[in-house]
Amino acid sequence: MRPYAGAIAFFAAVGLAPLVVDDAFLLDTLVLILVWGCAAGAWNIAGGYAGQISLGHSAFFGLGAYAAALCGVRWNISPWYGLAIGAAVATAAGAVIGFLSNRLRGPYFVIATIAVSQVLLLGAARWRGFTAGSEGIPVPFRAGFWTLGIADKRIWVWIVLVLALAVYLVQLYLERSRRGFQLAAVREDEDAALSLGVRARRLKVAAIAASAALTAVCGALWAQYIGFVDPLYVFSVDLSVRFSLAAIIGGLGTALGPFLGAVLVTTVETWLRAEFGGLGSHLVGLYLILYGTALILMVRYAPQGLMGWMRK
Amino acid sequence: MNPRLACEALDVAYGEFQVLWEAGLAVAAGEIVTVLGPNGAGKSTLVNTISGLLSPRSGSITFEGQRIEGMPAHRRAGVGIAHVLERRRLFPFLTVHDNVLLGAHNARARPHRDETLARLEALLPLLKTRRSQLAHTLSGGEQQMVAIARGLMARPKLLMIDEPFLGLAPRMVDEIGRLVRRIRDEHGISVLFIEQNVELSLRLADRGVVLESGRTVLSGPSAELLRSAEVKRIFLGEFAG
Amino acid sequence: MDAKVSILSVRGVTKRFGGITANRGITFDVAAGELVGIIGPNGAGKSTLFECISGFYAPDEGEVELDGTRLTGLSPDLVCRRGIARTFQRLRPFQGMTVAENVMVGALTRTRDVRHAREQAHEWLRRVGLLEKANAHARTLSTGQRKRLELARALATQPRVVLLDEVTGGVDQRSIPALVELVRELHAGGLTLLVIEHNMRVVTAVAQRIVALHMGEVIADGTPDAVARSPKVVEAYLGQAYVS
Repeated sequence: MRPYAGAIAFFAAVGLAPLVVDDAFLLDTLVLILVWGCAAGAWNIAGGYAGQISLGHSAFFGLGAYAAALCGVRWNISPWYGLAIGAAVATAAGAVIGFLSNRLRGPYFVIATIAVSQVLLLGAARWRGFTAGSEGIPVPFRAGFWTLGIADKRIWVWIVLVLALAVYLVQLYLERSRRGFQLAAVREDEDAALSLGVRARRLKVAAIAASAALTAVCGALWAQYIGFVDPLYVFSVDLSVRFSLAAIIGGLGTALGPFLGAVLVTTVETWLRAEFGGLGSHLVGLYLILYGTALILMVRYAPQGLMGWMRK
Repeated sequence: MNPRLACEALDVAYGEFQVLWEAGLAVAAGEIVTVLGPNGAGKSTLVNTISGLLSPRSGSITFEGQRIEGMPAHRRAGVGIAHVLERRRLFPFLTVHDNVLLGAHNARARPHRDETLARLEALLPLLKTRRSQLAHTLSGGEQQMVAIARGLMARPKLLMIDEPFLGLAPRMVDEIGRLVRRIRDEHGISVLFIEQNVELSLRLADRGVVLESGRTVLSGPSAELLRSAEVKRIFLGEFAG
Repeated sequence: MDAKVSILSVRGVTKRFGGITANRGITFDVAAGELVGIIGPNGAGKSTLFECISGFYAPDEGEVELDGTRLTGLSPDLVCRRGIARTFQRLRPFQGMTVAENVMVGALTRTRDVRHAREQAHEWLRRVGLLEKANAHARTLSTGQRKRLELARALATQPRVVLLDEVTGGVDQRSIPALVELVRELHAGGLTLLVIEHNMRVVTAVAQRIVALHMGEVIADGTPDAVARSPKVVEAYLGQAYVS
């Protein structure tokens, strides 16, 4: 039980918090921590466990967000379907990126992932007929569980907590299973792994597709929670960076790391918003400076992230 | 009599991977010495250690009476050691002229740069005729000559060449061989070179040093090493006739 | 002379890189249980041959067959699953894993059960003499130990043929006999081995047969005795002057 103590403590704390906390602001922060934690954990599957660093995961997040929003606005069906549709489309997109990962290595792959997310951004922003263009889509609030119209933030915490547990368990599976071992080998040295009979290509594609699907589910839930899908935000490079940052700061390739990293990243961001008020464009630059500094410090002094630092 | 260059008991490793064990070598003034040995024996490693590209874990390198194993590579040129690297490594997009001039970068050689260049042009006419040609457009043999000229611009007392004949036509090989002899005969420069072709090397050199699995196992005058049964055994194993 | 069952067959393998022909019409057979040494001066094409056999390169011409099954042009992981394992000249352990975990990656190609793979890994480590290092991190091993690790890892895939790319490179002369003994033991256990080696004393001591390459072609194929005396081989390594 001991190695899981941290995870148990974390999830128990999060699960019990809504019972004792009443403040809407705190609960909101908690929901966001969980959403970003899930997204970071999903990113970690591709970036941490498979070693495929991508800065284009907002593509999948945005696909999920749009799927949920369009379900409500265009197709008049439950946004829960949006989770499934978003996951399916993202899986296909993930397979494409997985294909790219077998053709491009290192920095070239990263650039390709950024390109994919930006192409989707432009598509969503211009395709007025389908996506309402750059104005974005306000997600209609229809009260009820089936329509994911939930006003009580406490319930939201529990909903996202379920996803968080799922993401956590998937990562844990990757640490202990046969596939996980093989994936780790591919991450360390793909040629050596191939020489040992590991189906490197297939594993990479599968990891990226799974990562994409889970990220899309995060996006769908987030869209319902926030109530507005803005293409310039959901497909942004900033968002992609945030996922990777939370995972790296928390501990790349560890199951709990992304959640810890999300705690740090979200609280800092929330504090910044509270201090400086409003989401003005000048704030974006500030985030990046802070992110960059945090990353440099992390890589220099604690390359294993918060998890590594805690283990000492 | 003190040799110009003396290496003793060198242990050299790439990280964890040890390549040389107590390797030794000596080159007298005005001598041409060749380093021989099967692949992976450590020949390039030894030469790279002498020129400072690698640092030995232990052992000593003495050049003209001065201990240099701790000296950084860029200062060894100043002391009189020039190293022509494997596959020439000319700057491909600079002209022959610029490549050669860069050889005189060190403080000792720079004041005499023009004079040295003039002397080299007499030795190697192609330096004049091809002076504005971009290095990567030259043939293998021509590149080798330019690389050697660049090495000589440093006014060395010891010139080290890693695989001078690699990829060259027989005629070029003869010319380079003759050039090396002239360098020694006319200027008293010692030459240390590594070459795959054993017979060719021993016909050019005065003495040979044989490395096997990172250790110096044999050394002596070329005439002795040529046709030696021991050399055969090192390269071809116990069965070698 | 007993009829030898050929297990690995290389026929006319040719590989070109731009203007250079690294392998030209390489043809030879390896019988089951044989230990064949591949020798040749630098640039002779030995490594290229290994890459062609193990699937990292696809030959431009020629065929590679294992027990009658065509391997030519298959991806490296497929070649391994069909029964050919290899080690690398520049050692490539999985640095972030322990020694046992490294070997498990190989074992997991043959078994789905992680626990079973761990047991097998320990068994292989015992065979190569690395058992006490099972839980150590791979990056803490010395060169000789890394060579053993690579071997154990490759063997864990239960190959029919093992390609050893330089067993003694980077290893102190004093440690060589122990490694050679290990290779001999594995061979005695029935393993078929193809070994690239520069140290001729080692090759002639363990190999039953030697194939000599020079400038991409096979110039000799026979017992160590015959090959070492072959005029072509002597000339390739040393020059005409040494041909008695």
